[in-house]
Amino acid sequence: MTADQPLISVQEVSKSFELKRTLSERFSGLPPRAVHALNGINLDIRRGETLGLVGESGCGKSTLARCLVRLYEVDGGRVWFEGRDIAGLSGTGLRAFNRRVQMIFQDPYSSLNPRMSVAQTLAEALNVHRMVPPGRVAARIAELLELVGLPQDAAGKHPHEFSGGQRQRIGIARALSVEPEVLVADELVSALDVSVQAQVVNLLLELQEKLDLTVVFVAHDLRLVRHVSHRVAVMYLGKVVEIGPTEELFRAPRHPYTQALLKAAPSLDPSQRSRKVAARGELPSPIDLPSGCLFNSRCAHVTAHCRAEVPRLEPRRGVHQVACLIDPSDRTDPS
Amino acid sequence: MTAAPALSVRNLTTTFDLGASRVAAVRDVSFDVMPGEVLGLVGESGSGKSVTLRSLTRLLPSGAEVSGQVIWQGRNLVGLAPKDLRKVRGGEISMIFQEPATALNPVLPIRVQIEENLRAHTTLDRAGRRRRSQELLDLVGIPDAARRLDEYPHQFSGGMRQRAMIAIALASAPRLLLADEPTTALDVTIQDQILNLILDLRDELGMSVVLVTHDLGVIAQTCDRMAVMYAGRIVEEGGVSPVLGHPAHAYTLGLLGSVPQAGTERTVLRSIEGTPPALSAIPPGCAFAPRCVFATDICRTRAPELVGTTEGHAAACHHSAMVRHQLGVSA
Amino acid sequence: MTDLPADVPADAPARSARRRALPAALIGGTVILGLSLILAVFPSVFAPYDPLAFDYGAILQPPSPAHPMGTDNFGRDILSRVIHAYTIDMQIAVLGTIFPFVFGTAVGAIVGYLGGFAETIFGRIVDVVITFPFLVLVIAIVSVLGPGLANMYIAVGLVGWVFYGRIVAAEVKVQKQLDYADAGRVMGYTHSRIVFRHLLPNSITPAIVYWMTDMALIILLGSSLGYLGLGAQPPAAEWGVQIAEGKNFMTTAWWIAVFPGAAIVITGLGFSLLGDGLAEVLRARR
Repeated sequence: MTADQPLISVQEVSKSFELKRTLSERFSGLPPRAVHALNGINLDIRRGETLGLVGESGCGKSTLARCLVRLYEVDGGRVWFEGRDIAGLSGTGLRAFNRRVQMIFQDPYSSLNPRMSVAQTLAEALNVHRMVPPGRVAARIAELLELVGLPQDAAGKHPHEFSGGQRQRIGIARALSVEPEVLVADELVSALDVSVQAQVVNLLLELQEKLDLTVVFVAHDLRLVRHVSHRVAVMYLGKVVEIGPTEELFRAPRHPYTQALLKAAPSLDPSQRSRKVAARGELPSPIDLPSGCLFNSRCAHVTAHCRAEVPRLEPRRGVHQVACLIDPSDRTDPS
Repeated sequence: MTAAPALSVRNLTTTFDLGASRVAAVRDVSFDVMPGEVLGLVGESGSGKSVTLRSLTRLLPSGAEVSGQVIWQGRNLVGLAPKDLRKVRGGEISMIFQEPATALNPVLPIRVQIEENLRAHTTLDRAGRRRRSQELLDLVGIPDAARRLDEYPHQFSGGMRQRAMIAIALASAPRLLLADEPTTALDVTIQDQILNLILDLRDELGMSVVLVTHDLGVIAQTCDRMAVMYAGRIVEEGGVSPVLGHPAHAYTLGLLGSVPQAGTERTVLRSIEGTPPALSAIPPGCAFAPRCVFATDICRTRAPELVGTTEGHAAACHHSAMVRHQLGVSA
Repeated sequence: MTDLPADVPADAPARSARRRALPAALIGGTVILGLSLILAVFPSVFAPYDPLAFDYGAILQPPSPAHPMGTDNFGRDILSRVIHAYTIDMQIAVLGTIFPFVFGTAVGAIVGYLGGFAETIFGRIVDVVITFPFLVLVIAIVSVLGPGLANMYIAVGLVGWVFYGRIVAAEVKVQKQLDYADAGRVMGYTHSRIVFRHLLPNSITPAIVYWMTDMALIILLGSSLGYLGLGAQPPAAEWGVQIAEGKNFMTTAWWIAVFPGAAIVITGLGFSLLGDGLAEVLRARR
């Protein structure tokens, strides 16, 4: 286990969801159609880093998150965890993997079992994975509550007695109860009010330092992703279009989609107003994907080449990787 | 700015019947909207921003009571009879909502829904209404308008549905557009398109806009003036640049600190502790005091008045002088 | 309805901390069924006469202080027979529904969780069963097996579980979409733990409510079969049997059939009230 070896490596992962055919479609013998959620994802996740996955709805970021924890089985490609293909895990191997790679969910209202108290929820995880001897369970629950900043009397309460922000803390405590190494956070704070978002983000950063966690931070909010991530992968229609160190990617985005996304995100500074639309048009259908570069229908720099050839994710200037066929120097870019 | 305001709201208070008790969702709110101005109402859930917007045309569930004044074209809408109010609502004052999927009627084609509004608020004949509805879809940037008019809401994407809803709202040639979180359900690139569309339409049609949102970035990029709401009151108002650049209320400052900004990556955000109060348990004095780092004894006993700090900028905070020494948006 | 709740504090601490008053339906249902249960367990304490004892000196007497509900054509005390019938009829209510409830709920939970092929198969079974009217199906099965209470339980069990299964399967299917089910999978919990510890407790409420109504219906069914001579056999004191016995005397001695009928109505009402009350209480816990 060398330091350079990625903890998780995603190679050419694809995932699609078959649509239900109507009766008439079945009789006319049409093949089932599918939503292509992931179309060949490649990325590495390094030990101890926070990798941000960002993109708009339909980009596949949540699907990828679910593939990482094996809530979804991939259709093609592989997800390697410490050099082992996670698709091959079962029984105790899978359980050990589950313990080490945990997930926190988006919806604070549905991610907790409404009939179980906080103590029951945490005790179940502790007992199933035999994290502590039975006599230590209560003490460990108290520690976990303290860790995520919940009062001790929270243990006896049920989820409906908490606010959204507190519920997310419970979700974090549940994930941490099995002492994982990787935390996949799917839109952790997007359902919360702005002031509460900041509290939970602060907690996440604090816990990562304290517990040496590797974090995959999935979000649509660019400001949040920029704030928490060491590296960021920008996704569009089930592909990574750009990946690189946060600072560099936000300072000098290379892919036209990343550029549009950054431009469209409303800045807090009123003097930076722009009345130019950042990206024309809308997301093409994930059922019938466009040929060539998936962004070609909305790209301001599109050429005939872009409609014919699929760009590969390739390094540009060292560490930064971009999937775009146009050399930035050729562009007539106003910015 | 010497022109008379298009809309003038004074001491607006809205209460809801909760069976055993009444709670005030909006308390003593006053503001003006100038002709052609975009005013932003910003706040978190429970701040009363949406209820304020809905109270203007009394689009509220039964059991809600509105008092105060909403002066529109020389008339007080608060006292207006339901029949007269209906003419104003959807006529001179139109509204668009957060969730176009539920605000549009799923079983009627878009054309019918636009023409319905045209029939109610214009004198156009059948052919005129047909022509006008196509013009409206063109205006809001729906491609291939002639064909899409006969489609149903479910055949539209989220962004296109919001455009269709705006087209319906514009059918009556409104002088004031009330927008309740119109882009919250949309992706950023689509949000950017819709906000630009609203601004373009404001320029072309000269209407005023009141925009409710929880996103300070949307305010910064779209509005001329803004009002920050907390626990049913306006706690700070003024031009967008002064308020965001030099906030004078501790809540506005905290809200800004909660939003991550460039250059502060992976540092602790200046968040606000705790959660907004329930309407039924608003703290005495300044409602924000229990969460405020500046709070002193006076904050817990006496509710601060909304007082001007500089030209057109006012805050309801006992310690606004101290707050203003903190930094707002770092440029 | 507007989308008002969006603006009413969603993030403020929930206010449901204060205890809700128990619904009147729950109290009413519990009182009726509690009394019924006491009568069922200790009928001899309350019954003034032996329910089977003939008294040819007091045939077809109308209600009087000595016989508050009158007597039948053998001089048996109607009140005593109605009270003793609680034993059989409450037994029918419980034994006729407990197997369908337990088995149907378990099958429904598994089918709802697995989906796919299991769901298709189960769907076909449901289709077949609901094509036939419930009563007709049960009568057909009892006719084959022979009359008597035991065979009635078997017949009801063969058919009745399907309805519970359908209710629970639909509910589990909704629940398993929620993130807490996925959280259980990410935690590495076994499927049976996720189904029975997590999904089922959140899905069982409608089945419990249906169970209460079903007990009322099964008493009616038991009485119907008793009336038809396929259920409890005379001279046993059972409300359906009693009504059957009284049918020939409706014009001359109405009390023979009317009082057992009233007992059926009151007990059925008790189950319905309890079901309504439970539904309200269990839903409020969310």
